[in-house]
Amino acid sequence: MDSATIVFVVLFAIFAALGFGASKWRKGDMRELGEWALAGRKLGIYLAWFLVGADLYTAYTFIAIPEAVYLHGSVYMFAVPYVMATFAVAMIVMTSLWKISKEKNYVTAVDFVKDKFNSKTLAILIAITGIVAELPYIALQIVGMQAVLIVMLQPYFTTASAITSVSEFALIVSFVILAAFTFWSGLRGAVLTAVMKDIIILVSVVVIVIAVPLAIKGGFATAFSKAAAAGAISKVSYATLAPVLGPAFLSLFVLSALALYLYPHSINGVLGSKSAKSVRYSTAMLPLYGFGLFLLALFGILIFAEPNALAIIASQKNPALVVPALIYTTMPGWFAGFAFLGIFIGGLVPAAIMAISQANLLTRNIIKEFKKDMTPQQEARIAKWASVIFKFLALGFVFVIPASYAIQLQLLGGILIVQTLPPIFMGLYVKWLDKNALIAGWFVGILSGLYFIFTIPLNVSLHTLVTSLMSTPLGLLYVAAVSLSLNVVVVFVWSAIARMTKQKAQPATA
Amino acid sequence: MDRDFLLAGLMLAVPTVVLLMLPVYNRADPPLFGLPFFYWFQGVWLFIAAGFYLVAARILVRRLGE
Repeated sequence: MDSATIVFVVLFAIFAALGFGASKWRKGDMRELGEWALAGRKLGIYLAWFLVGADLYTAYTFIAIPEAVYLHGSVYMFAVPYVMATFAVAMIVMTSLWKISKEKNYVTAVDFVKDKFNSKTLAILIAITGIVAELPYIALQIVGMQAVLIVMLQPYFTTASAITSVSEFALIVSFVILAAFTFWSGLRGAVLTAVMKDIIILVSVVVIVIAVPLAIKGGFATAFSKAAAAGAISKVSYATLAPVLGPAFLSLFVLSALALYLYPHSINGVLGSKSAKSVRYSTAMLPLYGFGLFLLALFGILIFAEPNALAIIASQKNPALVVPALIYTTMPGWFAGFAFLGIFIGGLVPAAIMAISQANLLTRNIIKEFKKDMTPQQEARIAKWASVIFKFLALGFVFVIPASYAIQLQLLGGILIVQTLPPIFMGLYVKWLDKNALIAGWFVGILSGLYFIFTIPLNVSLHTLVTSLMSTPLGLLYVAAVSLSLNVVVVFVWSAIARMTKQKAQPATA
Repeated sequence: MDRDFLLAGLMLAVPTVVLLMLPVYNRADPPLFGLPFFYWFQGVWLFIAAGFYLVAARILVRRLGE
Protein backbone atom coordinates (compact mmCIF):
# COMPACT_ATOMS: atom_id res chain seq x y z
CA MET A 1 0.00 0.00 0.00
CA ASP A 2 1.23 3.53 -0.70
CA SER A 3 1.24 6.23 1.96
CA ALA A 4 -1.92 7.91 0.62
CA THR A 5 -3.94 4.74 1.16
CA ILE A 6 -2.50 4.12 4.63
CA VAL A 7 -3.26 7.65 5.87
CA PHE A 8 -6.75 7.47 4.39
CA VAL A 9 -7.56 4.13 6.01
CA VAL A 10 -6.23 5.08 9.45
CA LEU A 11 -8.07 8.41 9.52
CA PHE A 12 -11.24 6.82 8.26
CA ALA A 13 -11.09 4.26 11.07
CA ILE A 14 -10.90 7.08 13.64
CA PHE A 15 -13.72 8.92 11.93
CA ALA A 16 -15.92 5.83 11.87
CA ALA A 17 -15.27 5.12 15.54
CA LEU A 18 -16.41 8.67 16.35
CA GLY A 19 -19.45 8.45 14.10
CA PHE A 20 -20.65 5.12 15.38
CA GLY A 21 -19.76 5.98 18.97
CA ALA A 22 -21.87 9.12 18.63
CA SER A 23 -24.99 7.20 19.49
CA LYS A 24 -23.84 7.32 23.11
CA TRP A 25 -23.25 11.07 23.04
CA ARG A 26 -25.39 13.25 25.35
CA LYS A 27 -27.45 10.20 26.24
CA GLY A 28 -30.54 10.78 24.09
CA ASP A 29 -32.91 7.91 23.46
CA MET A 30 -31.89 6.85 19.97
CA ARG A 31 -35.14 5.02 19.44
CA GLU A 32 -37.08 8.27 19.22
CA LEU A 33 -37.25 10.09 15.91
CA GLY A 34 -36.81 13.60 17.28
CA GLU A 35 -33.63 12.55 19.02
CA TRP A 36 -32.31 10.68 16.02
CA ALA A 37 -33.14 13.41 13.53
CA LEU A 38 -32.57 16.76 15.22
CA ALA A 39 -29.85 15.97 17.77
CA GLY A 40 -32.24 17.30 20.39
CA ARG A 41 -32.17 21.01 19.25
CA LYS A 42 -29.23 21.80 21.50
CA LEU A 43 -26.79 23.12 18.92
CA GLY A 44 -24.98 26.28 20.00
CA ILE A 45 -23.79 29.01 17.64
CA TYR A 46 -20.45 27.50 16.67
CA LEU A 47 -21.51 23.89 16.36
CA ALA A 48 -24.42 24.95 14.14
CA TRP A 49 -22.09 27.15 12.12
CA PHE A 50 -19.79 24.17 11.64
CA LEU A 51 -22.68 22.03 10.49
CA VAL A 52 -24.18 24.50 8.02
CA GLY A 53 -20.87 25.86 6.74
CA ALA A 54 -19.37 22.44 6.23
CA ASP A 55 -22.45 21.54 4.20
CA LEU A 56 -21.01 23.82 1.53
CA TYR A 57 -18.01 21.52 1.09
CA THR A 58 -19.82 18.58 -0.37
CA ALA A 59 -19.23 16.67 -3.57
CA TYR A 60 -20.88 19.65 -5.26
CA THR A 61 -17.89 21.83 -4.37
CA PHE A 62 -15.12 19.24 -4.56
CA ILE A 63 -16.26 17.27 -7.59
CA ALA A 64 -19.20 18.66 -9.59
CA ILE A 65 -18.22 22.32 -9.96
CA PRO A 66 -14.52 21.72 -10.82
CA GLU A 67 -15.63 19.05 -13.30
CA ALA A 68 -18.19 21.38 -14.88
CA VAL A 69 -15.67 24.23 -15.15
CA TYR A 70 -13.19 21.82 -16.74
CA LEU A 71 -15.74 20.53 -19.27
CA HIS A 72 -17.92 23.58 -19.94
CA GLY A 73 -15.83 26.57 -18.91
CA SER A 74 -16.58 29.85 -17.19
CA VAL A 75 -20.39 29.54 -17.15
CA TYR A 76 -20.14 27.20 -14.14
CA MET A 77 -18.40 29.90 -12.12
CA PHE A 78 -22.02 30.90 -11.40
CA ALA A 79 -21.50 28.86 -8.23
CA VAL A 80 -19.52 31.73 -6.70
CA PRO A 81 -22.19 34.48 -6.88
CA TYR A 82 -24.71 31.76 -6.02
CA VAL A 83 -23.18 30.94 -2.64
CA MET A 84 -22.72 34.64 -1.97
CA ALA A 85 -26.36 35.49 -2.70
CA THR A 86 -27.90 32.47 -1.00
CA PHE A 87 -26.78 33.64 2.45
CA ALA A 88 -28.50 37.00 2.01
CA VAL A 89 -31.70 35.11 1.25
CA ALA A 90 -31.11 32.84 4.21
CA MET A 91 -30.47 35.61 6.68
CA ILE A 92 -33.94 36.99 6.09
CA VAL A 93 -36.03 33.92 5.40
CA MET A 94 -34.40 31.40 7.71
CA THR A 95 -34.57 33.71 10.71
CA SER A 96 -38.31 34.11 10.13
CA LEU A 97 -38.73 30.37 9.75
CA TRP A 98 -36.62 29.71 12.85
CA LYS A 99 -38.78 32.08 14.93
CA ILE A 100 -42.09 30.59 13.91
CA SER A 101 -40.73 27.04 14.25
CA LYS A 102 -39.52 27.74 17.75
CA GLU A 103 -42.85 29.28 18.75
CA LYS A 104 -44.99 26.50 17.28
CA ASN A 105 -42.55 23.60 17.67
CA TYR A 106 -42.12 22.76 13.98
CA VAL A 107 -39.43 20.29 12.98
CA THR A 108 -39.69 20.58 9.18
CA ALA A 109 -40.79 23.32 6.75
CA VAL A 110 -43.70 21.07 5.86
CA ASP A 111 -44.99 21.40 9.45
CA PHE A 112 -45.14 25.13 8.80
CA VAL A 113 -46.93 24.78 5.45
CA LYS A 114 -49.48 22.36 6.86
CA ASP A 115 -50.30 24.62 9.79
CA LYS A 116 -50.29 27.88 7.85
CA PHE A 117 -52.50 26.77 4.95
CA ASN A 118 -54.40 24.07 6.76
CA SER A 119 -54.07 21.73 3.79
CA LYS A 120 -53.01 18.10 4.04
CA THR A 121 -52.70 17.84 0.24
CA LEU A 122 -50.35 20.79 -0.04
CA ALA A 123 -48.24 19.55 2.89
CA ILE A 124 -47.87 16.09 1.39
CA LEU A 125 -46.95 17.52 -2.04
CA ILE A 126 -44.22 19.63 -0.45
CA ALA A 127 -42.94 16.66 1.55
CA ILE A 128 -42.78 14.48 -1.58
CA THR A 129 -40.94 17.25 -3.47
CA GLY A 130 -38.37 17.47 -0.69
CA ILE A 131 -37.81 13.72 -0.65
CA VAL A 132 -37.49 13.39 -4.43
CA ALA A 133 -35.31 16.49 -4.88
CA GLU A 134 -32.79 15.15 -2.35
CA LEU A 135 -32.27 11.94 -4.34
CA PRO A 136 -30.13 13.36 -7.17
CA TYR A 137 -28.26 15.45 -4.59
CA ILE A 138 -27.40 12.30 -2.61
CA ALA A 139 -26.45 10.58 -5.87
CA LEU A 140 -23.98 13.39 -6.48
CA GLN A 141 -22.37 12.71 -3.10
CA ILE A 142 -21.96 9.04 -4.00
CA VAL A 143 -20.31 10.08 -7.30
CA GLY A 144 -17.90 12.23 -5.29
CA MET A 145 -16.99 9.46 -2.83
CA GLN A 146 -16.48 7.11 -5.75
CA ALA A 147 -14.18 9.62 -7.51
CA VAL A 148 -11.80 9.73 -4.55
CA LEU A 149 -11.62 5.95 -4.29
CA ILE A 150 -11.01 5.58 -8.05
CA VAL A 151 -8.01 7.91 -7.94
CA MET A 152 -6.66 6.21 -4.84
CA LEU A 153 -7.14 2.69 -6.22
CA GLN A 154 -6.07 3.20 -9.84
CA PRO A 155 -2.32 2.67 -9.21
CA TYR A 156 -3.10 -0.87 -7.96
CA PHE A 157 -4.87 -1.85 -11.17
CA THR A 158 -2.87 -1.52 -14.36
CA THR A 159 -4.68 -3.49 -17.04
CA ALA A 160 -7.38 -1.86 -19.14
CA SER A 161 -10.05 -4.36 -18.10
CA ALA A 162 -9.38 -3.60 -14.44
CA ILE A 163 -10.48 0.00 -14.85
CA THR A 164 -14.19 -0.73 -14.76
CA SER A 165 -13.72 -3.02 -11.77
CA VAL A 166 -11.96 -0.21 -9.89
CA SER A 167 -14.87 2.04 -10.43
CA GLU A 168 -17.54 -0.53 -9.54
CA PHE A 169 -15.68 -1.68 -6.45
CA ALA A 170 -15.28 1.96 -5.36
CA LEU A 171 -18.97 2.56 -5.82
CA ILE A 172 -20.04 -0.42 -3.71
CA VAL A 173 -17.64 0.49 -0.90
CA SER A 174 -18.88 4.11 -0.86
CA PHE A 175 -22.47 3.05 -0.73
CA VAL A 176 -22.15 0.46 2.02
CA ILE A 177 -20.25 2.90 4.24
CA LEU A 178 -22.88 5.59 3.69
CA ALA A 179 -25.78 3.29 4.49
CA ALA A 180 -24.21 1.90 7.66
CA PHE A 181 -23.20 5.34 8.90
CA THR A 182 -26.68 6.84 8.55
CA PHE A 183 -28.46 3.83 9.97
CA TRP A 184 -26.52 3.66 13.19
CA SER A 185 -25.75 7.24 14.11
CA GLY A 186 -28.35 9.66 12.76
CA LEU A 187 -27.79 13.39 12.84
CA ARG A 188 -26.02 13.05 16.16
CA GLY A 189 -23.25 11.13 14.42
CA ALA A 190 -23.16 13.71 11.66
CA VAL A 191 -22.92 16.55 14.16
CA LEU A 192 -20.20 15.02 16.28
CA THR A 193 -18.13 13.98 13.29
CA ALA A 194 -18.77 17.40 11.73
CA VAL A 195 -16.11 18.91 13.98
CA MET A 196 -13.50 16.38 12.89
CA LYS A 197 -14.77 16.51 9.32
CA ASP A 198 -14.57 20.31 9.26
CA ILE A 199 -11.05 20.38 10.60
CA ILE A 200 -9.89 17.81 8.05
CA ILE A 201 -11.80 19.51 5.23
CA LEU A 202 -10.70 23.05 6.05
CA VAL A 203 -7.06 22.02 6.43
CA SER A 204 -7.23 20.13 3.10
CA VAL A 205 -8.95 23.03 1.34
CA VAL A 206 -6.49 25.63 2.61
CA VAL A 207 -3.44 23.50 1.80
CA ILE A 208 -4.56 22.31 -1.63
CA VAL A 209 -5.77 25.67 -2.88
CA ILE A 210 -2.38 27.16 -2.03
CA ALA A 211 -0.02 24.24 -2.69
CA VAL A 212 -1.50 22.82 -5.90
CA PRO A 213 -1.37 26.09 -7.91
CA LEU A 214 2.21 26.62 -6.63
CA ALA A 215 3.18 23.09 -7.66
CA ILE A 216 2.02 23.73 -11.21
CA LYS A 217 4.59 25.33 -13.50
CA GLY A 218 3.49 28.82 -14.44
CA GLY A 219 0.47 28.68 -12.10
CA PHE A 220 -2.84 30.16 -13.17
CA ALA A 221 -1.45 32.18 -16.08
CA THR A 222 -0.16 29.05 -17.81
CA ALA A 223 -3.28 27.06 -16.93
CA PHE A 224 -5.54 29.71 -18.46
CA SER A 225 -3.52 29.88 -21.69
CA LYS A 226 -3.53 26.07 -22.01
CA ALA A 227 -7.26 26.03 -21.25
CA ALA A 228 -7.81 28.65 -23.94
CA ALA A 229 -5.90 26.51 -26.44
CA ALA A 230 -7.99 23.44 -25.57
CA GLY A 231 -11.16 25.55 -25.57
CA ALA A 232 -10.45 26.82 -29.08
CA ILE A 233 -10.87 23.24 -30.30
CA SER A 234 -13.76 22.20 -28.04
CA LYS A 235 -15.52 25.60 -28.44
CA VAL A 236 -15.59 26.25 -24.69
CA SER A 237 -14.79 29.70 -23.31
CA TYR A 238 -12.64 29.84 -20.20
CA ALA A 239 -11.19 33.32 -19.59
CA THR A 240 -14.51 35.15 -19.85
CA LEU A 241 -18.12 34.24 -20.48
CA ALA A 242 -19.37 33.90 -24.07
CA PRO A 243 -22.18 36.50 -24.39
CA VAL A 244 -24.68 33.79 -25.43
CA LEU A 245 -24.23 32.21 -21.97
CA GLY A 246 -24.88 35.41 -20.01
CA PRO A 247 -28.57 34.66 -19.30
CA ALA A 248 -27.65 31.07 -18.40
CA PHE A 249 -25.02 32.24 -15.92
CA LEU A 250 -27.37 34.74 -14.26
CA SER A 251 -30.37 32.41 -14.07
CA LEU A 252 -28.27 29.54 -12.66
CA PHE A 253 -26.85 31.93 -10.07
CA VAL A 254 -30.19 33.41 -8.94
CA LEU A 255 -32.28 30.24 -9.00
CA SER A 256 -29.64 28.17 -7.21
CA ALA A 257 -29.47 30.88 -4.54
CA LEU A 258 -33.23 30.69 -4.06
CA ALA A 259 -33.24 26.88 -4.03
CA LEU A 260 -30.53 26.02 -1.50
CA TYR A 261 -32.47 26.82 1.64
CA LEU A 262 -35.58 25.02 0.43
CA TYR A 263 -33.79 21.67 0.65
CA PRO A 264 -34.94 19.78 3.73
CA HIS A 265 -31.35 19.21 4.88
CA SER A 266 -30.53 22.95 4.88
CA ILE A 267 -33.65 23.73 6.85
CA ASN A 268 -32.82 20.97 9.33
CA GLY A 269 -29.44 22.52 10.08
CA VAL A 270 -30.92 25.96 10.72
CA LEU A 271 -33.74 24.71 12.92
CA GLY A 272 -31.14 23.10 15.18
CA SER A 273 -29.83 26.59 16.14
CA LYS A 274 -30.32 28.03 19.61
CA SER A 275 -31.40 31.63 18.88
CA ALA A 276 -32.44 34.01 16.09
CA LYS A 277 -29.33 36.03 16.77
CA SER A 278 -27.08 33.04 16.15
CA VAL A 279 -28.92 32.29 12.88
CA ARG A 280 -28.26 35.85 11.67
CA TYR A 281 -24.61 36.08 12.67
CA SER A 282 -23.57 32.61 11.56
CA THR A 283 -25.30 33.11 8.19
CA ALA A 284 -23.63 36.48 7.68
CA MET A 285 -20.18 34.89 7.90
CA LEU A 286 -20.93 31.96 5.62
CA PRO A 287 -19.82 33.66 2.35
CA LEU A 288 -16.27 33.31 3.71
CA TYR A 289 -16.61 29.56 3.29
CA GLY A 290 -17.38 30.34 -0.37
CA PHE A 291 -13.79 31.37 -1.03
CA GLY A 292 -12.70 27.75 -0.82
CA LEU A 293 -15.39 26.86 -3.33
CA PHE A 294 -14.12 29.64 -5.59
CA LEU A 295 -10.56 28.27 -5.51
CA LEU A 296 -11.67 24.66 -5.96
CA ALA A 297 -13.73 25.68 -9.01
CA LEU A 298 -10.47 27.02 -10.47
CA PHE A 299 -9.01 23.50 -10.33
CA GLY A 300 -11.12 22.89 -13.43
CA ILE A 301 -8.76 25.33 -15.18
CA LEU A 302 -5.54 24.35 -13.35
CA ILE A 303 -5.78 20.79 -14.56
CA PHE A 304 -4.96 21.93 -18.11
CA ALA A 305 -1.42 22.70 -16.90
CA GLU A 306 -0.88 19.30 -15.26
CA PRO A 307 -0.52 16.56 -17.92
CA ASN A 308 -0.26 13.73 -15.36
CA ALA A 309 -3.65 14.60 -13.87
CA LEU A 310 -5.17 14.88 -17.34
CA ALA A 311 -3.79 11.42 -18.06
CA ILE A 312 -5.65 9.92 -15.07
CA ILE A 313 -8.92 11.46 -16.29
CA ALA A 314 -8.29 10.14 -19.79
CA SER A 315 -7.39 6.62 -18.66
CA GLN A 316 -10.41 6.35 -16.35
CA LYS A 317 -12.65 8.21 -18.83
CA ASN A 318 -14.08 10.14 -15.89
CA PRO A 319 -13.98 13.97 -15.77
CA ALA A 320 -15.29 13.90 -12.18
CA LEU A 321 -11.73 13.12 -11.10
CA VAL A 322 -10.39 16.69 -11.62
CA VAL A 323 -9.70 17.57 -7.98
CA PRO A 324 -8.57 14.16 -6.67
CA ALA A 325 -6.32 13.66 -9.70
CA LEU A 326 -4.65 17.05 -9.20
CA ILE A 327 -4.07 16.29 -5.54
CA TYR A 328 -2.69 12.85 -6.34
CA THR A 329 -0.21 14.09 -8.94
CA THR A 330 1.06 17.20 -7.16
CA MET A 331 1.00 16.47 -3.42
CA PRO A 332 3.08 14.10 -1.24
CA GLY A 333 1.36 10.76 -0.68
CA TRP A 334 0.57 11.17 3.02
CA PHE A 335 -1.08 14.53 2.42
CA ALA A 336 -3.02 13.21 -0.56
CA GLY A 337 -4.44 10.56 1.78
CA PHE A 338 -5.48 13.24 4.25
CA ALA A 339 -7.16 15.38 1.58
CA PHE A 340 -8.88 12.35 0.04
CA LEU A 341 -10.42 11.57 3.38
CA GLY A 342 -11.62 15.18 3.58
CA ILE A 343 -13.35 14.90 0.21
CA PHE A 344 -14.69 11.44 0.98
CA ILE A 345 -16.37 12.38 4.25
CA GLY A 346 -17.31 15.68 2.59
CA GLY A 347 -19.67 13.51 0.56
CA LEU A 348 -20.51 11.00 3.26
CA VAL A 349 -21.69 13.30 6.04
CA PRO A 350 -23.94 15.56 3.90
CA ALA A 351 -25.41 12.48 2.19
CA ALA A 352 -26.24 11.10 5.63
CA ILE A 353 -27.84 14.39 6.69
CA MET A 354 -29.87 14.48 3.46
CA ALA A 355 -31.10 10.93 3.89
CA ILE A 356 -32.12 11.70 7.46
CA SER A 357 -34.09 14.76 6.33
CA GLN A 358 -35.89 12.62 3.78
CA ALA A 359 -36.72 9.96 6.34
CA ASN A 360 -37.95 12.65 8.70
CA LEU A 361 -40.33 14.05 6.07
CA LEU A 362 -41.62 10.63 5.14
CA THR A 363 -42.50 9.53 8.68
CA ARG A 364 -43.53 12.82 10.18
CA ASN A 365 -45.29 14.51 7.29
CA ILE A 366 -46.60 11.65 5.15
CA ILE A 367 -47.04 8.35 7.01
CA LYS A 368 -48.19 10.01 10.23
CA GLU A 369 -50.95 11.80 8.32
CA PHE A 370 -52.53 8.42 7.63
CA LYS A 371 -51.48 6.48 10.72
CA LYS A 372 -51.88 8.78 13.71
CA ASP A 373 -51.33 6.20 16.44
CA MET A 374 -47.67 5.36 15.74
CA THR A 375 -45.45 5.06 18.80
CA PRO A 376 -42.22 7.10 18.76
CA GLN A 377 -40.27 3.83 18.53
CA GLN A 378 -42.22 2.70 15.47
CA GLU A 379 -41.72 6.11 13.92
CA ALA A 380 -37.95 5.97 14.42
CA ARG A 381 -37.73 2.43 13.05
CA ILE A 382 -39.60 3.38 9.87
CA ALA A 383 -37.39 6.45 9.45
CA LYS A 384 -34.20 4.41 9.77
CA TRP A 385 -35.25 1.84 7.19
CA ALA A 386 -36.65 4.53 4.88
CA SER A 387 -33.28 6.26 4.88
CA VAL A 388 -31.68 3.02 3.65
CA ILE A 389 -34.25 2.60 0.88
CA PHE A 390 -33.82 6.22 -0.26
CA LYS A 391 -30.10 5.66 -0.57
CA PHE A 392 -30.72 2.72 -2.89
CA LEU A 393 -32.90 4.98 -5.04
CA ALA A 394 -30.14 7.58 -5.09
CA LEU A 395 -27.71 4.88 -6.16
CA GLY A 396 -30.01 4.23 -9.12
CA PHE A 397 -29.28 7.75 -10.40
CA VAL A 398 -25.56 7.00 -10.32
CA PHE A 399 -26.09 4.13 -12.74
CA VAL A 400 -28.51 5.99 -15.00
CA ILE A 401 -26.56 9.22 -15.37
CA PRO A 402 -23.00 9.28 -16.77
CA ALA A 403 -20.20 10.75 -14.66
CA SER A 404 -19.85 13.78 -16.93
CA TYR A 405 -23.36 14.80 -15.82
CA ALA A 406 -22.49 15.11 -12.11
CA ILE A 407 -23.51 18.77 -11.94
CA GLN A 408 -26.76 17.99 -13.74
CA LEU A 409 -27.83 15.85 -10.79
CA GLN A 410 -27.76 18.85 -8.52
CA LEU A 411 -29.41 21.13 -11.08
CA LEU A 412 -32.22 18.62 -11.59
CA GLY A 413 -32.89 18.59 -7.84
CA GLY A 414 -32.91 22.39 -7.94
CA ILE A 415 -35.64 22.53 -10.58
CA LEU A 416 -37.90 20.42 -8.36
CA ILE A 417 -37.16 21.91 -4.95
CA VAL A 418 -37.50 25.53 -6.07
CA GLN A 419 -41.18 24.83 -6.80
CA THR A 420 -41.74 24.78 -3.03
CA LEU A 421 -40.70 28.43 -2.79
CA PRO A 422 -44.21 29.96 -2.95
CA PRO A 423 -45.69 28.08 0.04
CA ILE A 424 -42.53 28.20 2.18
CA PHE A 425 -40.77 31.54 1.52
CA MET A 426 -43.74 33.56 0.27
CA GLY A 427 -45.99 31.90 2.84
CA LEU A 428 -43.86 33.44 5.59
CA TYR A 429 -44.64 37.01 4.47
CA VAL A 430 -47.70 37.13 2.20
CA LYS A 431 -50.94 36.73 4.10
CA TRP A 432 -53.48 36.24 1.32
CA LEU A 433 -52.10 33.22 -0.60
CA ASP A 434 -54.77 30.64 -1.35
CA LYS A 435 -54.00 26.97 -0.68
CA ASN A 436 -55.59 25.76 -3.92
CA ALA A 437 -53.60 28.37 -5.83
CA LEU A 438 -50.41 27.02 -4.26
CA ILE A 439 -51.34 23.46 -5.20
CA ALA A 440 -52.10 24.51 -8.79
CA GLY A 441 -48.86 26.51 -8.97
CA TRP A 442 -46.92 23.51 -7.72
CA PHE A 443 -48.38 21.26 -10.43
CA VAL A 444 -47.65 23.83 -13.14
CA GLY A 445 -44.08 24.34 -11.90
CA ILE A 446 -43.20 20.65 -11.50
CA LEU A 447 -44.85 19.47 -14.72
CA SER A 448 -43.45 22.29 -16.85
CA GLY A 449 -39.98 21.71 -15.37
CA LEU A 450 -40.08 18.00 -16.16
CA TYR A 451 -41.50 18.68 -19.61
CA PHE A 452 -38.70 21.12 -20.45
CA ILE A 453 -36.03 18.74 -19.12
CA PHE A 454 -37.24 15.81 -21.18
CA THR A 455 -37.76 17.77 -24.38
CA ILE A 456 -34.47 19.67 -24.48
CA PRO A 457 -32.45 18.52 -27.46
CA LEU A 458 -29.04 17.37 -26.27
CA ASN A 459 -27.12 19.70 -28.54
CA VAL A 460 -28.93 22.84 -27.58
CA SER A 461 -26.00 25.24 -27.78
CA LEU A 462 -22.33 25.53 -28.53
CA HIS A 463 -21.89 23.38 -25.48
CA THR A 464 -22.94 19.79 -25.45
CA LEU A 465 -24.54 18.18 -22.42
CA VAL A 466 -25.85 21.41 -20.89
CA THR A 467 -29.14 19.70 -20.24
CA SER A 468 -30.57 21.96 -17.55
CA LEU A 469 -30.68 24.97 -19.86
CA MET A 470 -33.40 25.80 -22.38
CA SER A 471 -33.73 28.28 -25.23
CA THR A 472 -36.12 31.14 -24.54
CA PRO A 473 -36.74 34.56 -26.12
CA LEU A 474 -34.43 35.92 -23.38
CA GLY A 475 -31.64 33.53 -24.39
CA LEU A 476 -30.50 30.29 -22.74
CA LEU A 477 -32.06 30.00 -19.28
CA TYR A 478 -31.92 27.49 -16.43
CA VAL A 479 -35.17 25.50 -16.63
CA ALA A 480 -35.94 26.30 -12.98
CA ALA A 481 -36.22 30.02 -13.84
CA VAL A 482 -38.98 29.40 -16.36
CA SER A 483 -40.93 26.81 -14.37
CA LEU A 484 -40.77 28.82 -11.12
CA SER A 485 -42.02 31.91 -12.96
CA LEU A 486 -45.01 29.95 -14.27
CA ASN A 487 -45.64 28.61 -10.76
CA VAL A 488 -45.55 32.08 -9.17
CA VAL A 489 -47.83 33.60 -11.82
CA VAL A 490 -50.43 30.87 -11.23
CA VAL A 491 -50.20 31.32 -7.45
CA PHE A 492 -50.66 35.09 -7.57
CA VAL A 493 -53.39 35.24 -10.22
CA TRP A 494 -55.40 32.42 -8.64
CA SER A 495 -55.00 33.82 -5.12
CA ALA A 496 -56.05 37.30 -6.28
CA ILE A 497 -59.18 35.90 -7.95
CA ALA A 498 -59.99 33.75 -4.91
CA ARG A 499 -59.63 36.78 -2.69
CA MET A 500 -61.93 38.93 -4.82
CA THR A 501 -64.65 36.29 -4.95
CA LYS A 502 -64.37 35.85 -1.18
CA GLN A 503 -64.74 39.59 -0.60
CA LYS A 504 -67.79 39.65 -2.84
CA ALA A 505 -69.29 36.67 -1.06
CA GLN A 506 -68.79 38.06 2.45
CA PRO A 507 -71.28 40.98 2.38
CA ALA A 508 -73.87 38.63 0.94
CA THR A 509 -73.57 36.17 3.82
CA ALA A 510 -73.43 38.92 6.46
CA MET B 1 -40.20 52.55 5.56
CA ASP B 2 -38.09 52.26 8.69
CA ARG B 3 -34.51 53.50 8.17
CA ASP B 4 -32.93 50.47 9.92
CA PHE B 5 -34.75 47.99 7.73
CA LEU B 6 -33.94 49.99 4.60
CA LEU B 7 -30.25 50.05 5.46
CA ALA B 8 -30.13 46.34 6.34
CA GLY B 9 -31.98 45.51 3.12
CA LEU B 10 -29.50 47.53 1.10
CA MET B 11 -26.56 45.84 2.78
CA LEU B 12 -27.99 42.44 1.88
CA ALA B 13 -28.95 43.39 -1.68
CA VAL B 14 -25.89 45.29 -2.91
CA PRO B 15 -23.52 42.31 -3.42
CA THR B 16 -26.13 40.39 -5.43
CA VAL B 17 -27.05 43.45 -7.52
CA VAL B 18 -23.38 44.05 -8.31
CA LEU B 19 -22.87 40.44 -9.43
CA LEU B 20 -26.04 40.64 -11.55
CA MET B 21 -24.38 43.41 -13.59
CA LEU B 22 -22.51 40.83 -15.63
CA PRO B 23 -21.19 43.16 -18.39
CA VAL B 24 -19.31 45.11 -15.70
CA TYR B 25 -17.04 42.19 -14.85
CA ASN B 26 -17.22 39.88 -17.86
CA ARG B 27 -13.74 40.81 -19.07
CA ALA B 28 -10.23 39.33 -18.87
CA ASP B 29 -8.30 42.50 -17.99
CA PRO B 30 -6.78 43.47 -15.65
CA PRO B 31 -5.66 40.02 -14.43
CA LEU B 32 -4.52 39.32 -10.86
CA PHE B 33 -2.13 36.44 -10.00
CA GLY B 34 -2.82 35.04 -13.47
CA LEU B 35 -6.59 35.09 -12.94
CA PRO B 36 -8.76 36.95 -15.47
CA PHE B 37 -10.81 39.83 -14.04
CA PHE B 38 -14.03 37.80 -14.44
CA TYR B 39 -12.71 35.33 -11.86
CA TRP B 40 -10.98 37.39 -9.21
CA PHE B 41 -13.74 39.99 -9.14
CA GLN B 42 -16.18 37.26 -8.04
CA GLY B 43 -13.75 35.96 -5.41
CA VAL B 44 -13.20 39.40 -3.90
CA TRP B 45 -16.95 39.96 -3.58
CA LEU B 46 -17.28 36.99 -1.25
CA PHE B 47 -15.30 38.92 1.35
CA ILE B 48 -17.10 42.19 0.72
CA ALA B 49 -20.44 40.37 1.01
CA ALA B 50 -19.53 38.84 4.38
CA GLY B 51 -18.70 42.35 5.64
CA PHE B 52 -21.97 43.81 4.35
CA TYR B 53 -24.00 40.92 5.75
CA LEU B 54 -22.42 41.29 9.19
CA VAL B 55 -23.44 44.95 9.26
CA ALA B 56 -26.97 43.93 8.21
CA ALA B 57 -27.07 41.24 10.91
CA ARG B 58 -25.99 43.73 13.56
CA ILE B 59 -28.64 46.24 12.54
CA LEU B 60 -31.40 43.62 12.49
CA VAL B 61 -30.42 41.96 15.76
CA ARG B 62 -30.40 45.35 17.55
CA ARG B 63 -33.55 46.66 15.93
CA LEU B 64 -35.57 43.52 16.59
CA GLY B 65 -33.99 42.83 19.98
CA GLU B 66 -33.09 39.24 18.99
